[in-house]
Amino acid sequence: MEKELKKRIKKIYKNTQVEFPEANRMVIKTKQENLLPILEFLKNEGFRQLKAISCVDWIEEKEFELIYHLSSLNSPLHIMVKVRIGREDAQIETIIKIFGNAQIYEREIHELFGVKFRGNPNLSPLFLENWQSIPPFRKDFDTREYVKKKFGEIPFVEEKK
Amino acid sequence: MRELELFFGPQHPGMVGNFSITLKVEGDRILEAIPNPGYLHRGFEKLMELRNWIQNFPFVCRINVVEPDSMEAVYAMAVERLANIEVPERAKYIRTIVLELARLASHLFGAWAYANMLGFDTPAQWAMADRDHILDLFEELTGARVYHIYILPGGVRRDLPDGFEEKVMYFLHALAQKLPDYNETFFENRIFYERAKNIGKIKKEEAIEWAATGQVLRATGVKYDIRKVEPYLVYDKVDFDIPTREDGDAYSRILVIRDEMVESAKIIMQCIEKMPKGKVYERLPNPFKWKIPKGETYVRVESSRGELGLYMVSNGGNTPYRVHFRTPSFNHGLFILPRLLKGASIADVGNIMISLYVVAPEIDR
Repeated sequence: MEKELKKRIKKIYKNTQVEFPEANRMVIKTKQENLLPILEFLKNEGFRQLKAISCVDWIEEKEFELIYHLSSLNSPLHIMVKVRIGREDAQIETIIKIFGNAQIYEREIHELFGVKFRGNPNLSPLFLENWQSIPPFRKDFDTREYVKKKFGEIPFVEEKK
Repeated sequence: MRELELFFGPQHPGMVGNFSITLKVEGDRILEAIPNPGYLHRGFEKLMELRNWIQNFPFVCRINVVEPDSMEAVYAMAVERLANIEVPERAKYIRTIVLELARLASHLFGAWAYANMLGFDTPAQWAMADRDHILDLFEELTGARVYHIYILPGGVRRDLPDGFEEKVMYFLHALAQKLPDYNETFFENRIFYERAKNIGKIKKEEAIEWAATGQVLRATGVKYDIRKVEPYLVYDKVDFDIPTREDGDAYSRILVIRDEMVESAKIIMQCIEKMPKGKVYERLPNPFKWKIPKGETYVRVESSRGELGLYMVSNGGNTPYRVHFRTPSFNHGLFILPRLLKGASIADVGNIMISLYVVAPEIDR
């Protein structure tokens, strides 16, 4: 079944790589414009649950990687659909029309990474209040620097003397 | 009637955990519910990127207060997968026992929260007292009551103490003897039935569509459990069943929880019976100098509230590059809860929320 799925995906969507890194895991690397059609295709294949959306900040490559975790009730296969988007002015089409619960995951990623999801009606912050700095989960955000600036410098014990 | 805005939580008797909901009400009916998390946001995922692989263990368990062991297990399993570390057979059995004891403790805690909220004080205190016995067992095994930091990559921290198996068996038998009392006062109590039946109802299609997992999904009749779908540890070597119910309401969810406790007890007994002798820890080099090979993995386990996943990326350094926890409460609490609250009455807010088993620290992380 897995091999057949791979063949069909590769046939329909160009610029797409399909890998099986471990047992029961499938990784689909694709381009932004293919994302919605592939998710729709997988949903029709029975992968109806969007388990999560993860975001990784690859700062050296100046890219964000979004990982859409899909799974099915009939098969142990767990699919990760990966898309890379530019770090500057990061934005991508929302998928709430296909998976409704993407709403809250997109909201979280917007808050913590600053990725904008076009078409998502509610991207208000979930956790942070009056946040003024850059989104906190980006790699160039230094928590220690931020604490020093915000709350003043508290010397370490050995530095006191 | 006039529309009012009502703040429910974080300090409300019907609310368990630091979590609040803003309700738009008209009379007693809820028009809209807006969950408002963030009271417990500690940014663990970011902090873990700054610390060694081994230094993260005190963090992961604190992500979930009521069931920390599944967090430890999922983190340890992810590190093992990336680094190709084999776990000794005995350690696998001990991990299973610990995870199932933690599931029991967590379900008892959930039963306490539910019973306490609805005013069933007696079974609530029983459940809390029984949970305390499990914490005593954990204290003997690991040295700590709540946050154990017991499951490490390569195995578990130490072997079972002398006579531990008998104590666990004794506890399980004592709990089984109490089950009829629990049934009479709580699970099959007519008052509780009236209070929880047809409350917070989810249809099967909706549950699938909304990516519900755990007892929320199983209460709608779907037999889906990660322990069976993708058996980890020794779940493929023990015999157990996945309890389901058909109605998808709060009452079905709590009955699924009760039946799961029975199955957990069965698993623990089988593990104690089948457990081989041998070492419990694969000796690894100095953990402060670990470098985990480049790669990424997604590990999932069945926690007491649903599928718990961990997406971990390593770039070959001595700290994780990115960890992302897929916690069941995040989806249940922020996405499903407001949909169930629409049209419910104010008195049922806590009822629905606890029946979904939303744990606040898991949402915020």
